[in-house]
Amino acid sequence: MAGARVKNPYDILGVAPAASAAEIQSAYRKLAKKLHPDLNPGDKGAEEKFKEVAGAYDLLSDPEKRKRYDAGEIDESGAERPQHQYYRDFADSDFGHYASDGGFADFAQGDDPFADLFRRSAEARANRRGRDLHYRLEISFVESITGGSERITLPTGGTLDVSIPAGIVDGQTLRLKGKGTPGSGKGGPGDALIEIEVRPDPRFKRDGDDITIDLPISLSEAVLGGKIRVPTPTGDVTMTVPAGANSGTTLRLKGKGAPRRGGARGDEFVKLRIVLEKPIDPDLRAFVSNWEAGKAFNPREDIAR
Amino acid sequence: MTIDTDEFLARSGIDMRLLQQWIEREWLRPDRGDAALILSELDAARARLIRDLKGDFGVNDEGVEIVLHLVDQIHGLRRVLVELRRDMQTTRRSTIRRTRVRKVGQIAAKRRRP
Repeated sequence: MAGARVKNPYDILGVAPAASAAEIQSAYRKLAKKLHPDLNPGDKGAEEKFKEVAGAYDLLSDPEKRKRYDAGEIDESGAERPQHQYYRDFADSDFGHYASDGGFADFAQGDDPFADLFRRSAEARANRRGRDLHYRLEISFVESITGGSERITLPTGGTLDVSIPAGIVDGQTLRLKGKGTPGSGKGGPGDALIEIEVRPDPRFKRDGDDITIDLPISLSEAVLGGKIRVPTPTGDVTMTVPAGANSGTTLRLKGKGAPRRGGARGDEFVKLRIVLEKPIDPDLRAFVSNWEAGKAFNPREDIAR
Repeated sequence: MTIDTDEFLARSGIDMRLLQQWIEREWLRPDRGDAALILSELDAARARLIRDLKGDFGVNDEGVEIVLHLVDQIHGLRRVLVELRRDMQTTRRSTIRRTRVRKVGQIAAKRRRP
């Protein structure tokens, strides 16, 4: 381990290898009080140094580990404390509602530009708006088209009723005004922000306001045409397949898509796909093998060179 | 970010009894929703700091109160310093822009003269 050689834990704590447990604890406390990142919120270097000291203490404060270290069975590297986020990392952000203005309240008394700034800052804290709370809600594809209402159970045990507007798309966020945490002073409560996740549906795909569906049809439905049932998000409808329909033929069900702004709706596009029965019926097989016109037809004429 | 009670306890390394006790002492002041506690990462990190103070550092309850009081003031001051710095940066930027406009104006005026 050249280069990245970790320092000897006795040196880090500044104690002799023969030091007693009490001496080690007292040396650690002395250093840690000075170096704890939360007691040095502006010193980025404190965290590294504290980690080193805490790691050394973890090793030497455990008699078993210390014995093994002294015997050379383990080295210093095993003593590293796992990373953790300190209070200062959060307190510096806007969420730090513990922060007080006791350290500068007197500065806010004057009439200079600084006093103004201090006053504004104190006022902003006194009238802080509540925090927004973020949630995620998974809904079915059908519900994303038809709309509906869902009840979320919150981590706190409460519930939240969410009404889902018809036509919502995956990733859209709903804002429930005032359903976040309460504010202080004149600051109102925050909002609840609900990110909608639409579970994919094996049948439907969404394309803007339109919906597409791949619909299998039989050979006789394709050749002769006929009425078939087609699923739509709002229930099955009957649709007429024209005689001579092909794989890839796309039919439109007007107004069966997602709602648009202004009251209109998108369409559902039904893409037909001819599916042959398996195994092939012997009669069909017999017919096709004697079918001259069928053998003469080359559907690949356009792509042949 | 909001976290649930289990995650709070795991992150802070304290138990339910201590959580209740520290809330009663107002060392922790989590938000309250409809009667239930709303615990955040901030609260968990603060609980962990208190645990360090009481455990590793041997600070007694009175000491914890004083430390928290001072730490809260430091963060209040830091926030004001951040705002102050932002204000000064905005002022400085708009001053630079005004100076540039003046210089360009002077150059244009000189060119027009001959």
